[in-house]
Amino acid sequence: MKLRRLQVEQLRQFRQPFVLDDLQPGLNLIHGPNESGKSTLVRAIRAAFFERYRTSSVDDLRPWGDSAAAPTITLDFDAQQKSWHLVKSFLQRKRCDLKIDSDSYSEDEAEEKLAELLGFQFSAKGVSKPEHWGVPGLLWVEQGTGQNIEQAVEHAGDHLKSALNSLVGEVASTGGDELIEQVKARWSDLFTPTGKPRGDYQKLEKEREEHQQEIDELQARIQKYQEQVDRLGKLTQDYERTQHERPWEEAERQLEQAKERYRQVEKLEQQQAREKETLTHLQNNQQLLRQNQEQLQSLNKKLDVRKTELDKAQRELEQAEARTPSIAGKVQEAKAAYEAAAKQVDQARLQETRSRLEQDIRRLEQHNHTLTQNLDKARQYQQELEQAREQSRQNQINAKAVKALKNTEHQLKEENIRSQTIATRLTWQLEPGVRLALNEELLEGQGERQLLEESSLVVPGVGTLGITPGGEDLASTQRKLSTLGQGLAEQMKTLGVDSVQQAEHRVVAYEAAERTLQHTRELLKSVAPVGIEQLLADQKETQSQLQKAKTELENSPVPEPGQQLQVTDVASAEAGRAQAETRLAEAEAEERKHQTELLTRRQTRDNAKSEWQQLQDEVQNPEHQKQLQKLSKELAEIEDKRARLETTLQAREQEIQQARPAILRQDIERYQRSISTLRQTQEERQRELRDIQVRLEAWGAEGLEEQRNDKVAELEQCNRRYQELDRRARALDLLLILLTEKRQALTRRLQAPLQKHLDHYLSLLFPQATLEVDEHLRPGTFTRGTELGQIAELSFGAREQMGLISRLAYADLLREAGRPTLVILDDTLVHSDTDRLDDMKRILFDAANRHQILLFTCHPEKWSDLGVPPRDIQAMKEQGSANLV
Amino acid sequence: MPKFLHTADWQMGRAFSRFETEDGAALVEARFEAIEKLARLANEHQCDAVLVAGDVFDAQTVADRTIRRVFNATRAFTGPWVMLPGNHDAALAESVWTRARRLDAVPDNVHLALEPGVINLEPQGLALLCAPLTQRNTYSDLTEAFNNCETPEGLARVGLAHGSVQGLLPDEIDSTNPILPNRADTARLDYLALGDWHGAKQMDERTWYSGTPEPERFRNNGAGYALIVNVPGPGESPTVTPIETARYQWHQWRETLTVESDLDQLLDRLQALPEPSVVDLRLEGSVTLAGEEKLINALSVAEARFRSIQCDRSGLQLEPTDDDIAALKADGYVGEVIEHLRIRQQDDDAEVARDALAILAGLLKDRKQEASE
Repeated sequence: MKLRRLQVEQLRQFRQPFVLDDLQPGLNLIHGPNESGKSTLVRAIRAAFFERYRTSSVDDLRPWGDSAAAPTITLDFDAQQKSWHLVKSFLQRKRCDLKIDSDSYSEDEAEEKLAELLGFQFSAKGVSKPEHWGVPGLLWVEQGTGQNIEQAVEHAGDHLKSALNSLVGEVASTGGDELIEQVKARWSDLFTPTGKPRGDYQKLEKEREEHQQEIDELQARIQKYQEQVDRLGKLTQDYERTQHERPWEEAERQLEQAKERYRQVEKLEQQQAREKETLTHLQNNQQLLRQNQEQLQSLNKKLDVRKTELDKAQRELEQAEARTPSIAGKVQEAKAAYEAAAKQVDQARLQETRSRLEQDIRRLEQHNHTLTQNLDKARQYQQELEQAREQSRQNQINAKAVKALKNTEHQLKEENIRSQTIATRLTWQLEPGVRLALNEELLEGQGERQLLEESSLVVPGVGTLGITPGGEDLASTQRKLSTLGQGLAEQMKTLGVDSVQQAEHRVVAYEAAERTLQHTRELLKSVAPVGIEQLLADQKETQSQLQKAKTELENSPVPEPGQQLQVTDVASAEAGRAQAETRLAEAEAEERKHQTELLTRRQTRDNAKSEWQQLQDEVQNPEHQKQLQKLSKELAEIEDKRARLETTLQAREQEIQQARPAILRQDIERYQRSISTLRQTQEERQRELRDIQVRLEAWGAEGLEEQRNDKVAELEQCNRRYQELDRRARALDLLLILLTEKRQALTRRLQAPLQKHLDHYLSLLFPQATLEVDEHLRPGTFTRGTELGQIAELSFGAREQMGLISRLAYADLLREAGRPTLVILDDTLVHSDTDRLDDMKRILFDAANRHQILLFTCHPEKWSDLGVPPRDIQAMKEQGSANLV
Repeated sequence: MPKFLHTADWQMGRAFSRFETEDGAALVEARFEAIEKLARLANEHQCDAVLVAGDVFDAQTVADRTIRRVFNATRAFTGPWVMLPGNHDAALAESVWTRARRLDAVPDNVHLALEPGVINLEPQGLALLCAPLTQRNTYSDLTEAFNNCETPEGLARVGLAHGSVQGLLPDEIDSTNPILPNRADTARLDYLALGDWHGAKQMDERTWYSGTPEPERFRNNGAGYALIVNVPGPGESPTVTPIETARYQWHQWRETLTVESDLDQLLDRLQALPEPSVVDLRLEGSVTLAGEEKLINALSVAEARFRSIQCDRSGLQLEPTDDDIAALKADGYVGEVIEHLRIRQQDDDAEVARDALAILAGLLKDRKQEASE
């Protein structure tokens, strides 16, 4: 379909006729600013096709305020190899004229032709709505609706499908979908949407279970009933048999027998007990007699015992008496020893006194002698002391002065020596007999002189030689020597000595005298420390003491000469006495003890003797003998009786044991219990019989088996009904599945051509992406790389792009099926970015090879590279007005 | 010359679960009517007694009402009835019989042979040797006691027992309650009246099963009879006359349809059956859509005519002809589905495929009718 020319007048802002002609077969870009009438032109095309000419609901077409207007649209286009001329007027002049080539149509007929050609419907009443728009609704995109494709596809669905059918050459099945709906409706009666049984189908399933449960319950009760019947049969049998046999009677008989036997045994036992008692009496009696006998017999023995005791006492007494003299002797001895010891002590004491006196005398004599000696020595020392003192006095000299003297002497010597050295030496060796005189001194032989002062040597015969020693020192030395010589002489004079040696001798003598004095003084002190007078006094005192001791000794008694040797000392003597005293005490104690023993034994002997005598008298009595004999006889009799009785007892005991009374008692108990058990069992049976009978009567009245049979019948009916439904359900299920499957397979085949066109555009927009068409031929699942989703989930821009390529794909499909296509895009793709828009331009350019595309926009700059000249509405309007003018 | 009616296996209290409730009830009712009919027959044939050889009741615990109704149904014949407990109604310690007595439902003229022994009906000239079952099942031959059983001179010796004669019945009869085949001889019986086998069946000259008077299952040949037995005199051979008593005839047909005429023949045969029939059909083979329609129509008619008709068509394949499919106007994928289902009938899941096909055909036909309207 190719639109060649569009003219509008009295339509909205196009009050004057406006013509849009020279429309190209491919792309047509028509632009103009807002309000310039772009949308009005689109509306005009829509109105020309969709709105019924006679409708009054198109007031929007009327120019503002012009109630007399008759909005008119004139269209020229080619379709189906024919030229179409359509003039449609609304409102004030309602007309529709269509000319196809040379054929003219008008009014409704004209409109029918248009609808058939383009594939849409007219609204029955009022303004045309999207659901009527069909194929144009899909291909003519209004401003801002490019992304909403689903509704449009749905409204064009039948046309698309028929186009597809004609392409694929398949029959979609007449009313097949309706059939599916019918099957589905029937299926839904039986199943919930999720495929679970519902309604009767479900109810029957449940009922079946309920019936089965009831039947099971009944069956269980029947089972129980039958068991009870069997139990009843067995019980009845047992009861009757027992009633007939009466087993307890036999037990009762046996019980009686056991009881009888037991009674006999009891009798024996009683007898046994009685005789045992008799035996006990006998034994007691016997024992008493024996005791008597023993008592009598024991008197003799006692007598013997007493005799023995008496003898023993006598013997012991004698023994004690025998010991008496020795004990007395011991006492005597001890006494003597004690006295001796006492005497000894006295002697020892005397001796001791004397020897002490003698000792004193010796000591005093000694002392006296010593004193006398000391006195002598003291007198001697006194004398020596006087001498030493005299000596000291004589030699008394000042030691220091001596020392100074010695020093002076020394200095003198040294000066002499020095003078010698500096002196002029004069040596001579003279012929024998020659003499010389030096300073009036004669020299002979040989010698040497040191000359300090001017000397003159007279050589006999020769003259006198003067010698003057040279040097200054010689003079000083000569003076010094002279000074020293003077000092020395002075000092010696002071000391009263002639020489230094003498002084020294006197010092030595003095010192020796001093030492002797000291020594003698010490000696004197040693013999008479406090002086000789005291010593004399001491001597006198000692002598007086000595005299006194001698007198005392002479007055003391002289010891007895015989015993003088034994006497040792007082201490040992006293020890000996103490010992003797102890021994004496011991001896005396023993003697006292002995006396007591003696008395005791004598008493014992006397007692024993009297007892023995008493018993002796008794035993000798004749009555006693007689009694003994009588007892023996009685004892013999009792023993005989006892023996007989024991034999009888033993025999009877055996008899009792053989009868086993304990077992007999058990038998009795056993029989009694058996009888009671047997009777009880029978009674219980009777009771149970009654119980079961009552129970069975009750249960039997319910007619359990007949009930069960009825229930089984119900279950089977339920089952049959269920089976029917189940079969139907399964059949419907199968049918629905098959129909759906086949239909889907068909849809897939039908979708193939559309998919092909869609893929073509998609590869230009999104390489490697896929967009699947669903069974209603709508674009559905979109995948791109790992993305997977529905168109609706994409961004607005992407959705618009997808919407547009889908529409182009539909257009391709329709064209392929020989249907007319015209694509009108009103300000589309405003949300696309530059890159995407470039791709879309390629797509549009490509599509324009097959379809006429009218692209209205208010942004001509965006579309400048579309390869077609833009047409400006504003300019055309002005041009149109100019033309008119 | 005693003459008596021999019957058995009434199985009162049985329910007919495989039928619709209404039909089952009618069949139950028919059994009560059968007893009344027996009483009438006894009168008509001037019988001296009616002998029931076991299984009067189907179970021990039937409803009181059932017990009462059974005895009420005997009213018409006032002569002696002798009822023998069988395996279904054995004379246990507590049994349907003791209940019947407790209910006071047993008329004086009905003798219950609850214990083994002889019942002398001197006025009728009959000495009845009874071998009732006192347990549910026995494995010994209860009729052996007949051998040593003395009966008064001049009375016909007639045995009454319930069980299976060894070696003469089909194998499927279980071997409990065995009966010696020549018991009539060994026990010097004039006649041995047996129950347990539900068809009337002669075992030897003097031994008969009477069978049940009213059939209650499809299998069992010769059900629905009572025997009129005439014993001319002690030692003489009895004359036995089977009398038909059944109200309903039970038919079970297994048919395979291959060609169209098979169906027509079947329908003709069905047409020929008397109305009081109980029919069980099982069809195999194949049928066209048209044939199926015809069959369904015929069955619909038969349902109204007969007491009961059941038809199992699960083995019968639907084979739509090309004409069928054309008539249904099943084009496009619907046509594919029909073809698919047709083939699928050969598979294991044939039944479902068949049903699905039938449903689909039905829907298409309805649509066609709507369209034509």
